[in-house]
Amino acid sequence: MSAIGSMSKPLPQPLPEPLPELDPVIHAQARLRVTVALATLATGDQITFPRLQQLLEMSAGNLSTHLRKLEDVDYVQLTKTHRRRIPVTYVSLTLTGRRALEDYIAALRRLLTPPTDQPGG
Amino acid sequence: MSGRDTDASVDEDHPLSAGESLALIERQQAAAQRRLGVNPALFYGPWGVAYLLGFGSIFLTYPTAVPVRLPGQVAVVITGVLFAVATVIFVVTGTRVGRGLRGPSRGAGAMYGWSWTLGFCALAAVNIGVTRLGLPDDAVTLLWSGSSLLLVGVLYLAAGALFQDWFQYGLGMWMLVSGACSVFADVPGNFAVVSLAGGGGLLLAAAYFALRPPCRRLRHERDRVHV
Repeated sequence: MSAIGSMSKPLPQPLPEPLPELDPVIHAQARLRVTVALATLATGDQITFPRLQQLLEMSAGNLSTHLRKLEDVDYVQLTKTHRRRIPVTYVSLTLTGRRALEDYIAALRRLLTPPTDQPGG
Repeated sequence: MSGRDTDASVDEDHPLSAGESLALIERQQAAAQRRLGVNPALFYGPWGVAYLLGFGSIFLTYPTAVPVRLPGQVAVVITGVLFAVATVIFVVTGTRVGRGLRGPSRGAGAMYGWSWTLGFCALAAVNIGVTRLGLPDDAVTLLWSGSSLLLVGVLYLAAGALFQDWFQYGLGMWMLVSGACSVFADVPGNFAVVSLAGGGGLLLAAAYFALRPPCRRLRHERDRVHV
């Protein structure tokens, strides 16, 4: 177990530069799909849970789980109401969520864009 | 909260590369827009057919250079049925598109939908009122065909402005020109203009939207998220 003591030297870095940080909440396939689908609605528009479920072809349980996680970080807003005495849940992307998706896409683009020389440098 | 465990149970959650993520965003955005919206071909196609065949059949009831003559009643039935079908498709499609949605866009869409009904009710009232004064038959015919196309054109202009859609705005301008030309074509030339220019224009618009790649369909500037 002397290996622990020999860790003082920095290990060679496999990557030359640090990767831009990707939002871990959005950077999961299912939640990314939910966020993108909600972002196609205009700001202020809301969609019912069943229509969103149908749109994404996800199971209700799966969608609920991911919506809860997105709600925990204030990316989506769930509004529970009644229509003709039937409970209805409306889902919408918050401004925070919309901005988070924009930032996430910008980070992806930075990751995919090869570094270029500074202009005029 | 043991979120990791829950994530692990979801088979979709393998880590994505940046490229895979962007591709997924594009696919999902296209799919959502396709499913949430409606292909405008569904709106233009039935009206295009109704205009082309309906007004075309009325044109053929007159003695013209075209060697086909249709009985008046046949033309009325063809036109009535085609317009009824187009109206039903318009209402059903328009209602279905807003299913499960609420918010400012839904309100704007409903108001726009109602402006067709209100506009044509008012148009009918004005035309019937003017006709009451005893206009010549040809003038009544020109009044109806010209004013109908004018209203259709204006409503497409409004839709173009509302949805920031230059294509629809251009179609509105085309319908305005067709409506104005139809009046100067006299009877029965007006029916030929409405049928060929009006109906033909709508069918070309329907073909344009039907043949456009799905990912470009209905891609209005609805939000600031661009891929």
